[in-house]
Amino acid sequence: MKRFFLILILIISNNIFSILEIEIIKGSDNLSKIAFVPFAVNEGLELSQGENLAKLIESNMLLFGEFENLDKAEMLAFPSLEEDFFYRDWKIQGVDFSVIGKINSVNILGNLNISYTLFNINRRIKVLEGEIIGSENNIDGIAKIISNRIYEKITGLKGIFDTKLAYVINSDSDTYQMCISDIDGKNERILFTSKSPIMSPDWSPDRKKIAYVSFENGIAEIFIQDLKTGERDSIQALGMTNSAPVWSPNGKSLALVVSFSGNPDIFLYSIASKSLSRLTNHYAIDTEPSWSPDSKKIIFTSDRSGSPQLYEINTSSKRQKRLTRDGTYNARGRYFPDGKSIFFVHGNNGNFQIATKKLSSRFIQTLTSTSLDESPTISPNGNVIIYATKKGSKGYLGGITLNGKSRFSLPVKNGSVREPAWSPLVNK
Amino acid sequence: MNKIITSFHTLLLLIIFFSLIFSIFSMPKLKVSKNESIKINFYEMSELSKPSRKIVSNKKVTSIKKNKDSKDSKDSKDSKDSYTNSNNLSDLLNNSFLKKDIKNEISKIRLTKERKNIIKFSSIIQNKISSIWIKPNSLSETLSAKVLIRLAPSGEILDFELEEPSSNKSFNESILTAMSKIFFFEEIAGADRKVFETNFRNFKLVFKSSGEIR
Repeated sequence: MKRFFLILILIISNNIFSILEIEIIKGSDNLSKIAFVPFAVNEGLELSQGENLAKLIESNMLLFGEFENLDKAEMLAFPSLEEDFFYRDWKIQGVDFSVIGKINSVNILGNLNISYTLFNINRRIKVLEGEIIGSENNIDGIAKIISNRIYEKITGLKGIFDTKLAYVINSDSDTYQMCISDIDGKNERILFTSKSPIMSPDWSPDRKKIAYVSFENGIAEIFIQDLKTGERDSIQALGMTNSAPVWSPNGKSLALVVSFSGNPDIFLYSIASKSLSRLTNHYAIDTEPSWSPDSKKIIFTSDRSGSPQLYEINTSSKRQKRLTRDGTYNARGRYFPDGKSIFFVHGNNGNFQIATKKLSSRFIQTLTSTSLDESPTISPNGNVIIYATKKGSKGYLGGITLNGKSRFSLPVKNGSVREPAWSPLVNK
Repeated sequence: MNKIITSFHTLLLLIIFFSLIFSIFSMPKLKVSKNESIKINFYEMSELSKPSRKIVSNKKVTSIKKNKDSKDSKDSKDSKDSYTNSNNLSDLLNNSFLKKDIKNEISKIRLTKERKNIIKFSSIIQNKISSIWIKPNSLSETLSAKVLIRLAPSGEILDFELEEPSSNKSFNESILTAMSKIFFFEEIAGADRKVFETNFRNFKLVFKSSGEIR
């Protein structure tokens, strides 16, 4: 009899709890609004130091157009401590998050103790609280660390404000410069200048070296340059031409293109043993290799089907697979940091745009709306793509967030900028 | 006696089992827009599933009228009684069918109106939430989270609960933030009491991310 009651209860509860469900799939196109309140300062420090620090954090957070800010002039209060913070002051301004903080001097050496707090205004909760001790001379670095922590708390993604960018500047017709800078364009450093073309820079996973191709000796030659010492080593005489070097995720080898007797194929080069092993062997052109994050596969471009398409090869089994079929031009493929999707240059009716594709799907999505886009590189957190594009004859770097909400261009340089390569995270 | 009780129990068990199966599978999805859907609750489904006899009854009425016409044209004295009988019968049938028709029609209109109201208010809720929900960036996985909402008849949100969170912390946070931005669905105040009680007193929002790159 108990069984009947149990089943009866089940039926009744099933009917009682059949509740209306409304699906929400589309989100808002609005951006989260953040108020960066000028930091308060302890006695003995300049007020402008607090203001400067808040401004640096603000400009970091706004760098990729993912947030909007509340102007200082519109702020109703300038709290620096939690007890002085009132959610209503920010709620009526439509603010989603507020950052407050205070700078205390620690010692006469100029070390600062900086405390900061992040509030979620809508939920009326403190979501982050932290302290950092750093030198007065490194206020930019401190701002980047705080920005990373705030960014991570709001988005759930790793902060990328202390990453760097490598790129090639072609300042006049016969001057090429291999450069690196902070991701915001500051602290630019020229690594190498040549009268011959420089191409394909790629960061070592520890961020200590860069591999690139230089034509300084009349042929395509791969160099590895140490960023600290500036020393350059050539990967010598592997074949007729060597190009497109890409570091493996463990930093022990490079995938590269070697052309013996004019037919480029993909090879692996062991840095320790300086030995070469062949990956592809096809009469067509195989080029532009790039590693999957788990090191098991390499994506590359090949024209073996009659037009440039993307393929991947398993580095152990050497099994190959074609990845793209739509359109007559799909090249320069790279994996997303999660390894589940790829991004590449997709050509269609003379327009070359950056596109993405999930490996599990056959459809591609075009990201950019400019027409001569090339050399895409992705942020280590997988959220932003920077690519080279052209306005007239001048090349510049454009960027886009993966959700498509934000498009931006990086500060204009004195010359055409090409071949961007985003560095890995510091702690990788 | 024991056998009778056992077979009665078995029969009851079977009825309950089929009723359970029916109730589980009778939860159709009603498309509101291309990508969005609303589940209609069991109450409404059971009302809708009642068969309408309008077409059948009309046919019968028509055939009875034809019979009557043919009998009139023949004008047979012998058949007068039978004609009177059949006339009474057809009137009786007519009345009973018409009553059922009217009842069905009223029920259908009422349900259509209810359905339209559910869709209307659900769309309002959908649009309001969509306009304030800032999805986290770069969601490459398929995610889903359910929020249970309790409303007052005025449309005020009495409370909400992230009943079934997703595996992604940022996704869950974004939902809680969106839900914290809204206090009222004012339009619900205009809803019919029965529609409100059966559908919007307690309802769920199912937040979804398809895992597309953009």
